Amino acid sequence: MATLHPTPVVFRWDLDKTYLRSEFDSFRDLVKIPFEKPEDKVTVPGVVTLIRQLRRVARQQGREVRVFFISASPPQIAKAIKEKLALDGTEYDGITFKNQLQHIMRGRFRNLREQVGYKLTVLLRQRNEFPDNAREVLFGDDWESDPIIYSLYADLLAGRLAAGDLPNILQRIGVDPELIDEAQVLARKLRPVAAVERIYIHLERLSPPKVFEPFGPRLVPAFDYFQSAACLYQDQHLDVDGVVDVAHSVMLEGQLSARNLANSLADICRRGYLHQRVREVLEWELMQRGVLPGSRQRRFLQRLQAWVRRHSRRTAFSPRPMPPHQGEIDYLQLVQHWQQRVTTDTSVPT
Amino acid sequence: MPTIAVDAMGGDHAPEEVVKGAAAISLETQIEVVLVGDEKQIQSNLDRVQYRPERIEVYHAEQAIGMAEEPHDAVRNKPRASVITTVELVARGQADAAVTAGNTGAAVLACARHFRFLPGIRRAALASVYPRQTEYPGQDQLALLLDVGATIRCEATELVQFAIMGSAYARRISKVPSPRVGLLNMGSEDNKGGEILVEAYRRLSHVPGVNFVGNIEGHELIRGKADVIVTEGFTGNVVLKLLEGIADSLSELAGSAARESWRYRLGLRVLESGLDRLRSLTDYTAYGGAPILGFEHLLIKAHGRSEARAIGNAIKVAAKAVRDGVVPEIRQTLKGL
Repeated sequence: MATLHPTPVVFRWDLDKTYLRSEFDSFRDLVKIPFEKPEDKVTVPGVVTLIRQLRRVARQQGREVRVFFISASPPQIAKAIKEKLALDGTEYDGITFKNQLQHIMRGRFRNLREQVGYKLTVLLRQRNEFPDNAREVLFGDDWESDPIIYSLYADLLAGRLAAGDLPNILQRIGVDPELIDEAQVLARKLRPVAAVERIYIHLERLSPPKVFEPFGPRLVPAFDYFQSAACLYQDQHLDVDGVVDVAHSVMLEGQLSARNLANSLADICRRGYLHQRVREVLEWELMQRGVLPGSRQRRFLQRLQAWVRRHSRRTAFSPRPMPPHQGEIDYLQLVQHWQQRVTTDTSVPT
Repeated sequence: MPTIAVDAMGGDHAPEEVVKGAAAISLETQIEVVLVGDEKQIQSNLDRVQYRPERIEVYHAEQAIGMAEEPHDAVRNKPRASVITTVELVARGQADAAVTAGNTGAAVLACARHFRFLPGIRRAALASVYPRQTEYPGQDQLALLLDVGATIRCEATELVQFAIMGSAYARRISKVPSPRVGLLNMGSEDNKGGEILVEAYRRLSHVPGVNFVGNIEGHELIRGKADVIVTEGFTGNVVLKLLEGIADSLSELAGSAARESWRYRLGLRVLESGLDRLRSLTDYTAYGGAPILGFEHLLIKAHGRSEARAIGNAIKVAAKAVRDGVVPEIRQTLKGL
């Protein structure tokens, strides 16, 4: 029997725009969602494969692994979503829906759209059910407030943000006072541990990456799940086979060419989230398996580099996480910028 | 989809506007763009805009040639300049065409160094498009003028070759089945302009595939008599700058008149929609750029003052020229001679 890895890992996923390609750009789209059949719902290219591979690799490492979904959709559509997850073959340990009906009954219509209070309390509540040493990787999108919610949660958990500072920040966002109190109580129960390794934000709206600079290097804005997979390989949550599998899915489902994929890999590296060395290794492996293109000359050079690496102990490669040197986040200022961005456009705050 | 190599460091507003233009293209079209230049500067500009990373490749070039640099010296002293690397990528087959808004002389020299001439072609020509009156409905509002600066003086053979190349370009890009070609001269008679122009006139009258309409005088340039106007580089450049200067002066004159009196302001207000149409017609940003013709590959030279929109349009023109087979068309016409 495999010895359990000392640190269990939890992958927490937002659902709409992160897992599902939900269209709610217009009122018409919004109305259509409850009537969609499970088979009509479309996933973001590569996401199903990524979740499957994350589980496989964690199990292979002997790690306890859990996958949770948090949805802002009402429980009334839970059946369709659960059926969709079953159709995809996505294994998960829990899914939370937002009780919109309750807000309507209480006349709190503002809470129907407000997600920060809802998601933050769900994250904090669930954390108390995990082992103390559990590591977390969070996945969201750039559509609404996932970067703020996840960063607040990660900093509360790490003890970088005091529970006492929370009300002021949440009030600025316009969170329901009841939820603010609940979040504060839950935050006080946390045992401080820097458990959130990374926050992956899927750039569904193609937001300019600069927008996410104030969140620090812990947050990775990724244009597609191949970019996320490359970073997860670097952080040892995936192996090469896993990355290759995600690459194939992204190509197939996203209709991308091999050259598109190579450009995407280069982009995440240029933006500083992927080490150059990791990029080279991945390029080589993907080229070997025919996923990425390579000229004969380039293949020869890559083969030569790989040979040198294999025969040199000092440079033997194993992916190593780039520890994010997370600095302090000025949440009050960040909230102000973020609210302007959500209500206006995707321009970069100055 | 064609891959277009773009000199990210060339132009008055590079790299910001060039990167913005390429980013916009990545959102609007399937064209793949290779941005050539300082990787850090390019990425830092990309970070500020929306773009699709899968359609943008960044190719690092550590040097850049300034707009005011002497082309020969710059090309000699900066072998790793972005414009040279851009051209090299096309020559090596890593991109299908090149775009630059940078130093024109350096661009022409880079092409001359790395591209091969089409069989039979002796000298390259830099073309430019300019707005003109139309003579019939559906006629293209733009005429093609070449050469505007790749050469200084030309022989009759070279003028004939310019006519063939310009004609093929107009056929493919402006979709004019039989573009009318005129020879810029000081009179309409066939014996005007000296030995070279007389000889060019005589030969152009018998070139198959070229619809030669005779000599074009200065005042006819902005009329719709010809779709392609052929001239040597010296005159072409003077004409082009004159046309640009007139457009700028008219707009300045209108501005100063408006400042002078409220009656002029009122008059301009009444004419506003007409003036807007005129402005949009003379707006170089809408045309993108013009090609350097004569080589086995294409380079589109965008205006030095190009901003994002103009760069985007230059990339579209380059992609269209590749897709519509401008170079094979020229080669084919030359073969038939």
